[in-house]
Amino acid sequence: MTSAVIIVLREVLEAVLIICMLLASSSALGLRFRWLPPALLAGLVGALAYALSLEQISMAFEGFGQEIVNAVLLLMITVLLLAHNILAMREFKAPEVSRLPMLSLAILSATIAMAIVREGSEIYLYVYSYGVVAGDMASVLSGAAIGTGIGFSLGTFIYYSLRTLSARHCLLFSSIMALIVGAGMSSQAALFLAQSDLLPSSEPLWDTSAWIAESSLTGELLQAVIGYESSPIATQLGMFVGALLLSLAAIGIGYFSVRASSEGPGAAGTTGGRGE
Amino acid sequence: MTISTHISSSIRLGARLLTGVVLYCMTMGAQAQTPVFEIEIREHLFYPSEFKIPAGQKVKLIIYNRDATPEEFESYELNREKVIVGNTQGIVFIGPLKPGEYPFFGEFNPKTAQGKVIVE
Repeated sequence: MTSAVIIVLREVLEAVLIICMLLASSSALGLRFRWLPPALLAGLVGALAYALSLEQISMAFEGFGQEIVNAVLLLMITVLLLAHNILAMREFKAPEVSRLPMLSLAILSATIAMAIVREGSEIYLYVYSYGVVAGDMASVLSGAAIGTGIGFSLGTFIYYSLRTLSARHCLLFSSIMALIVGAGMSSQAALFLAQSDLLPSSEPLWDTSAWIAESSLTGELLQAVIGYESSPIATQLGMFVGALLLSLAAIGIGYFSVRASSEGPGAAGTTGGRGE
Repeated sequence: MTISTHISSSIRLGARLLTGVVLYCMTMGAQAQTPVFEIEIREHLFYPSEFKIPAGQKVKLIIYNRDATPEEFESYELNREKVIVGNTQGIVFIGPLKPGEYPFFGEFNPKTAQGKVIVE
């Protein structure tokens, strides 16, 4: 059962982090949570579809379909978090002046759905094959429930911590989190592409596993938040720094696309529309 | 010291290099320059659970999952993770790596499915 707890918690962690961070942003952006159930449902359906067609996906692209789908999902989430940052910074600078509710809804929903697709498919695969098929239902399901429970308590903690801040500070903090999480995800995407030999690989640049092992709890948490990798390759570092700079640029674009008060929506704000 | 001796010595050098390259490619197998290694998953165990690969070189690892259940080949040290559906195989490129031991495990059966790559 303990392995079920760990397996599920590891997968849940990343998705929960994104969901709770975006929920906090959502309320700071003045949106109701009505968009959440459809987004969760879309994510779960997507996860199921991904898990059920995993064999065909794996065989596609000369056996690297899985890596490609994962990398595309991770990069799309990175881009959507970038778009979130533009919207959040617009709201930060000029609260309630130039809200783009429909666009915000679309971006938040798509991000959450994609985060669930990636992590949910692995959980489904594990629970189905080891719980249902192998007949170890009780321990797999209770383990999965505990793992999910721990993940969600952590998420609740993050959500309420962000909500104790003022709306503007919440947006600022979410944007900084999105910036780091996004950079970590693009570094993970780089790894998938290196694993399938689509991006160059090299000897690791350094090795910090003696200080913080990736398998430790701290390592797992850091992995979910900043994409911690104890022995990264140059390609990963490049993608990490690239995503960080792009996200900073998005924060700048969001901030400077609106006037502090009076005037309506800024013209440059349309950049946020290229969410996908 | 004439030009002809220079030319003949460079031809000889070239030929030697060429033979070296041909031999290298032949030892690396017909498929590609990248060395290929194969392991199997049976009853949630890896066979072989230990294998050696050359340092400083990218290698292609083919993992055959002979079980009906899926397994996730995972390694923190190799920075790799890949789900391999039951009764299929998956390819994972690893390296180049420095000499050392790099453990891997099956995420769905972490207690039994364990192995390591020895890089030397």
